[in-house]
Amino acid sequence: MTDGLVARLRAPLAGDADFGDVLAGSWAALETRALTRRRVYLAGTGPAELGDLFDVTGSPGGRIRFSGDLSSANRLGAALAEGEVVVDGDVGGDMGIGMSGGAIDVRGNAGPRAGGAAPEARRGMTGGELLVRGSVGPEAGARMRRGLLVVGGNAGTHAGAGTIAGTIVVFGDTGLSAGLWSKRGSIVALGTIAIPSTYTYACTYRPTHLRLLLGRLRRRYGLAVQDRHLAGAYRRFSGDLADLGKGEILEWIAE
Amino acid sequence: MNIRGVFIEDTFAEAFTMRVARLIITGRSVRWAREAALKLTGFATSVIGCKCEAGIERELGPGDTPDGRPGFSVLLMTMGKDDLPKRLIERVGQTVLTCPTTACYDGLPDAPDRVGVGSALRFFGDGFQSSKVIGGERFWRIPVMEGEFLVQEKFGMVKGIGGGNFLILARSADDALAASEAAVDVMASRAGVILPFPGGVVRSGSKVGSRRIKSMIASTNDAFCPTLRAITKSDLPDGVNSVLEIVINGTDAAALAAAMRAGIDAACRPGVISITAGNYGGKLGPHHFHLRKIMAAGAPA
Repeated sequence: MTDGLVARLRAPLAGDADFGDVLAGSWAALETRALTRRRVYLAGTGPAELGDLFDVTGSPGGRIRFSGDLSSANRLGAALAEGEVVVDGDVGGDMGIGMSGGAIDVRGNAGPRAGGAAPEARRGMTGGELLVRGSVGPEAGARMRRGLLVVGGNAGTHAGAGTIAGTIVVFGDTGLSAGLWSKRGSIVALGTIAIPSTYTYACTYRPTHLRLLLGRLRRRYGLAVQDRHLAGAYRRFSGDLADLGKGEILEWIAE
Repeated sequence: MNIRGVFIEDTFAEAFTMRVARLIITGRSVRWAREAALKLTGFATSVIGCKCEAGIERELGPGDTPDGRPGFSVLLMTMGKDDLPKRLIERVGQTVLTCPTTACYDGLPDAPDRVGVGSALRFFGDGFQSSKVIGGERFWRIPVMEGEFLVQEKFGMVKGIGGGNFLILARSADDALAASEAAVDVMASRAGVILPFPGGVVRSGSKVGSRRIKSMIASTNDAFCPTLRAITKSDLPDGVNSVLEIVINGTDAAALAAAMRAGIDAACRPGVISITAGNYGGKLGPHHFHLRKIMAAGAPA
């Protein structure tokens, strides 16, 4: 794998922009020229090519880094299936929505529904890894089917709502109504979380798989995972008991 | 060839291709990881009677295991590739799943051949099991009374070698035992090598078949039994009153040869008359470890 492409935003986006087609499906093997022809839809002005908005340099090879103010860039990484994407800064809503593979590393905050599902979609992300080092808006990981969503900061309300499976790790505080209507999903809360009334306490234990998961996040992404996160005890709550009830919230106990 | 007065026979050990899995067993403490590893590798000296051969490869520190806990690396070997998953499922299910605090991971992540282990053991969870994909690998969380047992879904399988060996021919049983212990001490904990017999040593070397019972696969190696010197076609030199064998299995020929070189060198001590090796004329096993070539290759690694 090469160092990849670097896409620098030439000028600030005038308003909301839809990046949903830029990295959808197969893109890693594309030549730079072909990738820059992919469309971005700008609110008010219509479609533009990626190359019209960004200076794209470097060698393709499955990696791309976006830089510039992308806080109004929505649906970046939507339907991502492969490759590694890095965003240097904040992004808009629907980041990585419906992604099925690959990895996204957002070095800032993300808007609503990161890794989640579009309002009309039955499923959110179905695979891959989405890391947001900052905070995320509401409905992060909503209706996700598989995959891993990691939030370095805080998560808004309804994180993991309606998850079919998959894992959400929140290093900061998790907003209200997390995991509502979850079937099998896992929410790992390292900060504060209000346990919904449809979840029931099961036990306090030390899940071995979290040693693997959190250890990998520390190694691969350099996240501030502490030894007491790895070896610590977690309260397990089963839910959502208003649905299948095979989901869980694992709440870390600071010792 | 002589090493410190010990004659090295011009012969070779004949070894066989086997299938190998490497398991990483971890636990909350060294004690519990060791308990599981010892149970898993128990009664696994020879495929003749145990269906598999297994041994502890080495102890692992927390920094060398997937979950950062103390652990042990274990090699488990079978003759056929269809046998390996069966033996793994039996043994991991009965000895690691049952052992407090332990988890079990694949130690051959680069092996292209993968066999299902956690994918079978998960059914013990009776529908309450769940899985997590971490770094592209699936792990099963099986609920147990203690908490959860974590086991990797698939384990790598590679070709290895079983049946590397050498025989220590000594003036007395004490001399043979002391030389064997010295050999095992330098051969144990080498990467890619296990010594599947008790303490790494075999006192009952066997020959193929039986002189009297056709159905027997193996029987005592009478040519090397000191008590039978007068009544059988003995291969024992004068002065030899006890023989012990070291059997070595491993992942590759280089690891075996290096271990044999170190072990034979350590066994060349007072009281030992000669070192030889077991073979079947070279017709059965494709891997031949010539003692003199191995010892001429250089200082023990």
